[in-house]
Parts: sequence; structure tokens; C-alpha cells
Amino acid sequence: MLKDITIGQYFPGDSVVHRIDSRFKIILDILYVVMLFVADNFISLAVAGIFILMAYAVSGIKAVMMLKSLKPIMPLILFTAILNLFFVNGTGDPLVEWWIITIHEEGITTAIFMIVRIVCLIIGMSLLTYTTSPIVLTDAIERLLSPLKKIKLPVHELAMMMTIALRFIPTLIEETDKIMAAQKARGAELDTGGLMKRAKALVPILIPLFVSAFKRANELAMAMECRCYKGGDGRTKLRQLKARPADYMVFMLVLTVLGFVIVDNVVF
Amino acid sequence: MNIIEVKNLEFEYPITDDEGNVVGGNKVLKDISLEIPKGQFLAILGHNGSGKSTLAKHFNGILLGNSGKVFVNGIDTADDDRIYDVRQTVGMVFQNPDNQLVATIVEEDVAFAPENLGLPPEQIRERVDEALNAVDMYKYRLHSAHQLSGGQKQRIAIAGVIAMRPECIVLDEPTAMLDPKGRKSIMKTIKHLNSQFGITIVLITHYMDEAAQAERVVVMDGGRIIMDDVPQKIFSKVDKLTEVGLDVPQVTQLAYELKKEGIDISLEVLTEEDCLNELLRVADRK
Repeated sequence: MLKDITIGQYFPGDSVVHRIDSRFKIILDILYVVMLFVADNFISLAVAGIFILMAYAVSGIKAVMMLKSLKPIMPLILFTAILNLFFVNGTGDPLVEWWIITIHEEGITTAIFMIVRIVCLIIGMSLLTYTTSPIVLTDAIERLLSPLKKIKLPVHELAMMMTIALRFIPTLIEETDKIMAAQKARGAELDTGGLMKRAKALVPILIPLFVSAFKRANELAMAMECRCYKGGDGRTKLRQLKARPADYMVFMLVLTVLGFVIVDNVVF
Repeated sequence: MNIIEVKNLEFEYPITDDEGNVVGGNKVLKDISLEIPKGQFLAILGHNGSGKSTLAKHFNGILLGNSGKVFVNGIDTADDDRIYDVRQTVGMVFQNPDNQLVATIVEEDVAFAPENLGLPPEQIRERVDEALNAVDMYKYRLHSAHQLSGGQKQRIAIAGVIAMRPECIVLDEPTAMLDPKGRKSIMKTIKHLNSQFGITIVLITHYMDEAAQAERVVVMDGGRIIMDDVPQKIFSKVDKLTEVGLDVPQVTQLAYELKKEGIDISLEVLTEEDCLNELLRVADRK
């Protein structure tokens, strides 16, 4: 059951989207989010939607993966849509009026807008992790945040923590599965009973998991020291991030689309 | 020329009570002196609690003795200014490969040590490729480490150390968590590194058959070195080894039992081939 977790899932490939410098990709993703929230009419929202669909087409990531990334967020999308549908008041006559429920035309449009926005937001973010290896992503975050070192933000340490966390997710998932099997073999009931009972049943799983995680951390720290780790100072990198002309071109493309959306919403 | 010199080393773990006050010490190493020449393949043998792993952690300054000294290429491991020279000279591989790998992708992990040393990217690339080739894992360089087998992961851990270009590698029970196939591949890798690159190997183990493959065996018990000789001589002292809770290789055991029955056979047999030849020699004489 734990094997389904898709955090940081990455599909190696060689498309244009894959090859964009990861620092650019992060900035582009942020710009895209800005674009989504600026877009407040059908045309600009459609442009934003088509844009991300085209990006998926170019990247070669299967459409199924798009849906998969939306699955965990589905309840939130529905909840937001329903709230908007019922509680947005319009100026005209309500379309439906029954008991305490009133639905205005504006409610329907806002609900659709919200759905499209959240869907685009999630699949846009997923495209970033689908096409960028987690290590490269952490590298890029470290580079992008490096100016903040001046205000004493431990940028290297944060990036190292992310790298190690990503490295240990599969190991700890495997370990959890093993502990659960071991506790079940001793008669622990994990899948039955009410909420409280189930929550209590987790204690004998979490305690051994934490004990072992601390032990692993201790050993890892020692192994890192043995390999001359002494923090971020004077450290170099195997992989160098280099912006290519193509990166700037993609950047300009996104800026153009963003510009269009802004003009479309602000001016007209 | 000795790469590691240990002089009268003593070490104790502090014993604390419930409030964290030190109430005493648990002496793990007692007056250890040891010299390891460059290029040697040394095995340190001992059962659990004999102090062998604790001793190993002194070889690159992870632990420092309460008294006594350890020198690596003449550098005192207690010298804070040169600790990274020491760690770069003596690399260390631990028991559990899962807890030594830092990065998700194989080549990223092997690059960890050269990155720490601040080498330029081209040199890091060169060392990563060289290290992965040395342990015969080059074709897995872009794999995700957690998908590999235990033996393969341990070879990656070894490659991660080789990438520092150390003169000596200390391996603390590197095969304890592996299946027989993985154990074999690690032993092959270790011997290859020793013979091809002249890297000094210190193998901490409690497997007799692994120790038997070394040039020299040091046996530890209760925090002391009790034997130090070539494997043939060590394993011929069956009584003494049994006394400290260690086994001998099965062929040596066979020769020992035959000798007890009054047959004139040498106890210095370690491999099945040795044993066969020795048995044939005895049979011929009759």
C-alpha cells in the first residue's frame, strides 16, 4: 500500500522540457502560477490551460500521469467547486432556488474557473517533478537560494537535508512495510476497529521506525564524516548547471504568454 | 613503511546513569599496539564485543583514544588541522550499505567524497568513472541506489570511498548483511583493489573463511590483540581459537580432528585444495 507514494516521482527523458535548466524550470513554474491567478476570463484561462497541455505533449509524459497527480487533490477540488457554486452571489436572478440552495450564473462560472485553476496548478507543478530528477531539483533550489546565504539562511544544509530525505524515502517505506508485517505476525490488528483504535495501533509501528531512523542517521553521519564531509564551504559539484540559449528562448516564450494574459486581464 | 601505526592505544566508553552523569567507563581497548605496512591485506578477527570495530574507528580519527596514539602516514589522528588528510588516506566502509549512501543516484553518491574535497567537475567525473570501474559497477551509474542488491550497494559504498583515492580502506564487517553471492562479490572486489591498485586493506570480520584469504590475521579478544600471524599459523591453533569463541575453517577442523586420532597431518591447511593435497600426501606415505 505504501508503494503507491509518488513524491518526487521522476520519468527520465530527453525532451525539450527535460533539458531546460532546472533553475529556469522552477522560475517558469512560479511564473505559471502567477499567470493562473492573473487570468480572470475565459480566454486567458484557456491560454494557460492549453499552454500546460502543450508542455505535457512536448515532454512525452503520459496523460495518465496527469490524472494520477490530480487524484489525491480531488476532494479539495470538489469542495472548492461546491462552495463557489452555492455561495457566490450574482446580480441577476438565481438560476435555481430550492429550499436553502440558490445557484447564480456567477457561481457556476467561478466554480469552473476555480477547477481549471487548481487543475492547471497541480499538473503544472507535477510536470516540474516529472521531468526533473530530485537531485538536480535540490541543486537548483540551492543555487537559486544561494543569495540568501548573506542573511545567514543555511541554504546548503537545507539542500543537503532534502537530498538525504529523498534518498531515505524508499528505505524507510520498505522498513515500515517490514515492521507492519512483523507486528501483524505478532497479532497486531492494524486494519480493524474505529479511528481511535487504528491510531493507537500505529504506535507500535512508529516507535520502532523512529528508533531505527535515529540509528540510521547516526551511521550515515559517521559515513559522511569518513568521506570528508565538512559542510558546504569549499564544496564543488559533479553536475554543473549551465543555461543554454534554448533556456532563454523558452523563458521568453513563457514571458510572452504571461504578458498576453496580463494585458488581456488588466487592459480589457 | 607503515601506513597505520597504533601505539599503546586505550579506549573506554563512558557509562552514564539515568541522569546522564558519568559513573564509570567500559574499557573496550586495552594497550593495543599494531603496525600495518603499506599494501598489506590484513584481517582483524574477533567475536562480538572483542573491540575490533572500536579499533577500526580509531584508524581514521572517528574515535580518539583515552591514551595512546594512532598515526596515519606519520600524521597523528588527534591533529585537528590534518584530520581530512587522515580521512582521505584511510577510507572506511561500514556494515549496512543502506546507511552509507548519501545520494539517490549511484554516480551522485560516488561523487560525494570528491565534491567534499572541492575538486573541479572534470576531475570529479574522472574519479567517479574510475571508482565505478574499479568495483565493476560502471554500467549501473545512472541507476537508483535502492533498486540494487545488497552486494551491489556495498560495492557502490566501496566506490564512494575509492573516489577519494585513499591509500588504505578499512572495511568494518562489510559482508555481515549480505547473501552468499554478495559476500563473494565483495571479497573479489577487495582482493582486486589490493592486488591491482596496491591499496592497503584492513578487513574487520567474524567470518573465518574471509580472514583466511588475507595475508595476515590479527585476532582480538576482550579488547586485546591475542594473536598476530599469517592465516596458516593462526588457524592451526584450533584450541586457542575455540577458547575465545571463534571457529576455524572446516578443512582445518577436519585436519585437526584427524590429528587428534593420531594421523600425522599438517594443520596449516586453509582451502579445500590445500586439504586435498595434504590428505593425498598422508595417504601416499602409508
